[in-house]
Amino acid sequence: MIHFLDAANHALFFYYLLSNVAYLAMLVIALRTSAAHLRHLECIRFDWIKASPMVPPITLLVPAHNEEKFICTAVRNLLDLDYPEIEVIVINDGSTDETLPIMQKEFRLRLVRAVYVPQAMSAPVRGLYRSDVDVRLLVVDKESVGSKADAVNAGLNAASSPYVCVVDADSVLERDALLRIMVPIMADPKRVVAAGGIVRVLNGADIEAGRIRRVRLAKKSIEVIQVVEYLRAFLIGREAWARGNMLMIVSGAFGVFRTDLVRAVGGYRPFAIGEDFDLVTRLHRHLLEKRTDYRIEFVPDPVCWTEVPSDLRSLARQRARWQKGLLDVLWPNKDMLFRPRYGRIGCLALPYLWLFELLAPVIEVTGFVTVLLAAVFGALSWSFSIQFVLFGYGFGTMISVGSVLQEELTYKRYNDWQDVARLVCYCFLEHFPYRQLHMIWRLQGLWQYFRGDMAWRPLQRRGPQSVDGDKAGSSPVAVS
Amino acid sequence: MESAFDTFRKLGPAAFVVKAIVSVIVAVVLLLGFILLRRTYRKWYFANRDARRFAIRQKWDALISGKIPCTAWRTKASERQLIEDMVLDAFEIANSEESVRLLKFMRASGLVEKRISEARHHKGWRRHRALVALARTRAPEGIPALSEGLRDRDSETRLAALRGLGRMACPEAAKEILNWVDDVGLVVPALPLQSALVQTCGERPQVLLPHLHNADKTVREVLGRVLGEVASSSLGPELLQFADDDLPELRAAAARGLAYLNPSAAVNVLGELAKDAVWFVRLRAIVSLGGLCHPAALPSLLHGLTDSNRLVRLRAAEGLVDFKADLAQIFEMVVALQDQYGLHAFLTAVENAGLQTSLAARIQTSPRASSETIQSLLEVLRTAKLSPEPPAPQESIRVKAASQS
Repeated sequence: MIHFLDAANHALFFYYLLSNVAYLAMLVIALRTSAAHLRHLECIRFDWIKASPMVPPITLLVPAHNEEKFICTAVRNLLDLDYPEIEVIVINDGSTDETLPIMQKEFRLRLVRAVYVPQAMSAPVRGLYRSDVDVRLLVVDKESVGSKADAVNAGLNAASSPYVCVVDADSVLERDALLRIMVPIMADPKRVVAAGGIVRVLNGADIEAGRIRRVRLAKKSIEVIQVVEYLRAFLIGREAWARGNMLMIVSGAFGVFRTDLVRAVGGYRPFAIGEDFDLVTRLHRHLLEKRTDYRIEFVPDPVCWTEVPSDLRSLARQRARWQKGLLDVLWPNKDMLFRPRYGRIGCLALPYLWLFELLAPVIEVTGFVTVLLAAVFGALSWSFSIQFVLFGYGFGTMISVGSVLQEELTYKRYNDWQDVARLVCYCFLEHFPYRQLHMIWRLQGLWQYFRGDMAWRPLQRRGPQSVDGDKAGSSPVAVS
Repeated sequence: MESAFDTFRKLGPAAFVVKAIVSVIVAVVLLLGFILLRRTYRKWYFANRDARRFAIRQKWDALISGKIPCTAWRTKASERQLIEDMVLDAFEIANSEESVRLLKFMRASGLVEKRISEARHHKGWRRHRALVALARTRAPEGIPALSEGLRDRDSETRLAALRGLGRMACPEAAKEILNWVDDVGLVVPALPLQSALVQTCGERPQVLLPHLHNADKTVREVLGRVLGEVASSSLGPELLQFADDDLPELRAAAARGLAYLNPSAAVNVLGELAKDAVWFVRLRAIVSLGGLCHPAALPSLLHGLTDSNRLVRLRAAEGLVDFKADLAQIFEMVVALQDQYGLHAFLTAVENAGLQTSLAARIQTSPRASSETIQSLLEVLRTAKLSPEPPAPQESIRVKAASQS
């Protein structure tokens, strides 16, 4: 027993060591990539790109379910984006509120027979509407099956551009975001099949008419910790994975894909829990099986601002769903693991996700139990344990601080230095008890998946208009 | 008095934890100090830069006219950088008169010469930056240096040089690009190359023609697409030789370019191209036929409505809808085709053009049609479904279309 516990604790130590070394390597790669990207940005003239006669059109797909409060502002902002050729397709996913009537009134929608080719699976479409105010706007009114992927598929079937960009109706895109995200695609459209932008936390920012007026850090600790998490995930994780062409997630809130390829893989999987992750994995599989030379890029400067959960209950639901989504994608694609045919995706990216993302909560809990048992049986070296905890804490903090520092040295969205000071402090504070709670939520997600509990639980959100709305005393609305 | 180290020693194993906490605090303070210092420096730097920009703006005319000699600022790197940025920003939004003045200033002050030298002698991102700045000046003497950039080993630098030459928007730049492509083939992605060539060949598309004959297949495809974008009436009959080229891109280019010719000369060739085996050739031909808006194009457009490709059908429908005066008769012919897909495409185009009410009114007031035909057509217009027995199209329309084709 003692030997087993000793071996288990050593295994745990090496697991943590490996995980932290991997993240450290990613930090180094991300810092180098960011520096190169910044130099590259210095030489990019966006007005040249905009004026280029070969700028490919983009269709923005906006799934909307009961978004009456802010759909009009969101659509106006999307139509106002700084990009030469866009088409906005709003998919009214069986809204039970006034989403469609409000849009009909605001944009003078009329029923049309626009081209709709049902290549990707989707619930029945009730009607297609074109705006008389702006012909670039098309509304697809469809029945709801409670899945975002299903709604996006309906939009995909109506899209007429070579590229599609999925945007959440309650997210805010910066005006030049499309132009920036298209830079790698326009530089090499044959190889670059998709590109993802950075998603940042909207909570706390001052918003006017659906646009960011001033970026501020949210007040609640739970929101600030998520800011650190997002910085770490995007500025370090995605930047590094994309460098090696192993990006497995292009965020569902903001990503551009080649339309023909998305259609070729059958669009989004209608009942996928993590539809964005699922689509990218299927794209990798499809392209690798065809032995295509391709890239999926991450671009750190085009920004999409999105609201994150501001209460523990919603956050717990979100994280449990993410974990379910992870398993829901990794399990059906387990045949890709360690198969030379799938290159680095099968040999590096997917094993990493299995080991350090999917199984992490299970391994951590097992670790706690073995350490506890070792303590009970007197087999625990206290000095080693303390050093181990401090080592984990130090390493984890260093990675978080690295991401905040990278933000400060590069994109610098938080202008108020007090916000940055708070971010730095939270890098040291997020380890207890947030990480432990996070582990429990992820375990809950796995448990729900094995029980077959795939129900969508709405998150408490206020929407991008809420800052003005809050001042007027509006109450939060639940949107899915 | 005992030292802090003695206190630590007394703590025993707990000293390690205390040390760790102290280290964390020190790290936080150092980090915040660094951020604060950096922010303060940047604040000072940008304020200083803004002040200097303001000062330069105050004496702008004297500077540009040369009353302030360039020797006064040219040797100070930061001052030179600031002035160059300001001049280039002004140059990009200047009218023709002002741009001549600014270009003269850039030449006289040696800014163009310096960038040419940097573009030739620097490496890596410095060369990249110099190429971009040089292209922003749009000075023709920069073309050779940009052209040398095309042969750089770094793909980013090559792209910058290519975009820069595109920015020049003159046939000389096009010649450099085309010569380079002839030498090395397609070593950059096709889209930036196409983009640069479209920008540079617009003024004189003829520069493409010799290269179209000699280039290999992949380059010909790209050049064909460019030709399709820039083809104008100035190319005239030279385009006709590509109408039966082996390469579909060139046939498509010919189809596109023929839209600029005299309709009577173009319709027959376009009619043939509208029956091509490759869908995008048919698409280009149909778009050009629609653009001609000539009655002789009607049979080909109607035929396009029954095409197997939906884009071709849609463009054919859009072309037909442009014949607003004859819309009722055209609708009758569309119904007579007995093609549900074609009808759908036509009605989509009618709706997109907002002509549905007008079409219904025209059908109702059609003097030649019988009341039964009118009712049948209105029913088709309302339901978008073909009736089992379609009304025969009026003889006069068929004769008119046939005679004009």
